[in-house]
Amino acid sequence: MPAILETAGLRKAFGGIVAVDNVALSIPEPGIYGLIGPNGAGKTTLFDVICGRQLPDRGTIRFEGQPIETLRVHQRARLGFSRTFQECRVLVEETCLDNVLFAAQDKRLGSELIQCTTRNAHARQAAMAEARRLLALVNLESYADAPAASLSYGQRRLLEIVSVLIARPKILLLDEPASGVNPTLLNTLRDFLRRIYDERRIVLLIVEHNMEFIMSLASHIVVMHQGQILAQGAPAEVRADARVIEAYLG
Amino acid sequence: MRPLLASTGVLGLFAALYLVPVVAPGQLYALHILTLALCYAVPAIGLNLLFGYTGLVSLGHMGFAGVGAYATALLMKNGIVGFAPALLAGAVAAGAVGLLVGVPCLRLRSHFFIIVTLAVGVILYTLFNNLDALTGGAEGLPGIPRPQPLDLGFIVFDFRRPQGFYWLALTVFAATFVVQWMIVRSDFGRSLAAIRQDETIAAARGVDVFAHKLAVFTISAAIAGIGGGLKVTFLRAAAPLSFELLESINLVMIVILGGAGYLLGPLVGAVLFIAIPEVLRIANELRLVIFGVVLVLLALYAPRGVCGLLAALRRRLGSKGFAHARHS
Repeated sequence: MPAILETAGLRKAFGGIVAVDNVALSIPEPGIYGLIGPNGAGKTTLFDVICGRQLPDRGTIRFEGQPIETLRVHQRARLGFSRTFQECRVLVEETCLDNVLFAAQDKRLGSELIQCTTRNAHARQAAMAEARRLLALVNLESYADAPAASLSYGQRRLLEIVSVLIARPKILLLDEPASGVNPTLLNTLRDFLRRIYDERRIVLLIVEHNMEFIMSLASHIVVMHQGQILAQGAPAEVRADARVIEAYLG
Repeated sequence: MRPLLASTGVLGLFAALYLVPVVAPGQLYALHILTLALCYAVPAIGLNLLFGYTGLVSLGHMGFAGVGAYATALLMKNGIVGFAPALLAGAVAAGAVGLLVGVPCLRLRSHFFIIVTLAVGVILYTLFNNLDALTGGAEGLPGIPRPQPLDLGFIVFDFRRPQGFYWLALTVFAATFVVQWMIVRSDFGRSLAAIRQDETIAAARGVDVFAHKLAVFTISAAIAGIGGGLKVTFLRAAAPLSFELLESINLVMIVILGGAGYLLGPLVGAVLFIAIPEVLRIANELRLVIFGVVLVLLALYAPRGVCGLLAALRRRLGSKGFAHARHS
């Protein structure tokens, strides 16, 4: 059986700066994967390349054995790729509930245009219960009808994660979910992500700077440094790796 | 509760508009002005879908209205088809041109796209003005017939009379209003709203941003084409000056003034921008001067136009039943 996600020889340069250099990342099975590394190591660029926001200069990306490096963002999203953004993006004018329901919606143009004339609201009604349940899991149920703009930054992060989850992704990429989140919410977030993994058994790939958070959450850590993968393994192994300590301290 | 109240309000408004010729039978001048405003409200609905709901500014939209107008005019003048099929043909022609223009232009981002739409408007105007064999050049196409009277037995609608044509224009407007409403309150409308708020999120959630923009651009151009066809049938002549750059800018003004992203914005904007200056007889001399000032005031105090102002007022008064909740 092919790996869920596998990249080979992946390279992305911006002018003279090689942000991602010959990266071969393999995610053979579901799990919580942490992607760490010093600032500028190329983590977010790797995310962008995997999700299709940036096209790689070289290299291949395979999803369940199929090459996907030429697919566009929305095509990968429809295959089961979901991501959250480092800068935290939600639809600020919509209510929290609408944010989640929008993620659940069938967004192929053809079916949308048909829905314009049929006014069929079954799918939306069907997603309603799950949307409310997910909002309740992150304590946002009382904000369901409030615009997303009224949420705090940490709450927006939770809303963003909940929104992508309802689309039942196979791979969920979280770019620094813990940044800007206060310690209390951080515990909610950690419990929530664990619960999601236990429920869904999908791939969670998490870029994170908060070491305590990611080491206690992930089962597998990948360390990037200067565009390349420096080390990988269980959290304890990685923490003891001399090269990793060197990269962070040196 | 809220959507029910809102739709009741809109239905009431349309009922009132239909009753205007009955309530004030002698006011032919007022009917003339209102009909003219409706001729602008229709293409403004097209622009509202594009600009108000999807966030794409087009500065050449009257060019598409012109394509529809000339197609309708040619078909009716030569007696090939009646009003309704001619209007639909105009919509198809304008939509087709919109599609062709959209394919290369919608790949451009924000202000580059705006500049290209400006150029498209100018190019279309130049074509109307110079393709003498087809469009009659600067003289245009005079002598477009009004539609045949509609005899329902108990009542006859004569479209050569101001009342009859007012009802016709109102019906065309109502039809495009329904199209706008159907689009806005649908999954498609929600995807358009997502594109307006954040294209990156929309794409990451699975929206084909380019295809959606192209679809709404085509629909928007087709609706503008209907407006153009209505206008030339009303004026009984198609002339290039009706579809020049200034008219396109006027259309943007109408949408902003009325309230971009509100269902009733185009109607409110058209009445304020077309009808009131006409009545005050300052139409051509002072309209731009006055509306220049109004635009500055809007930008400062009411960036969401008159409908936005009214909605905010309603919210402040604690009533939640206002008609045109934005993109819901």
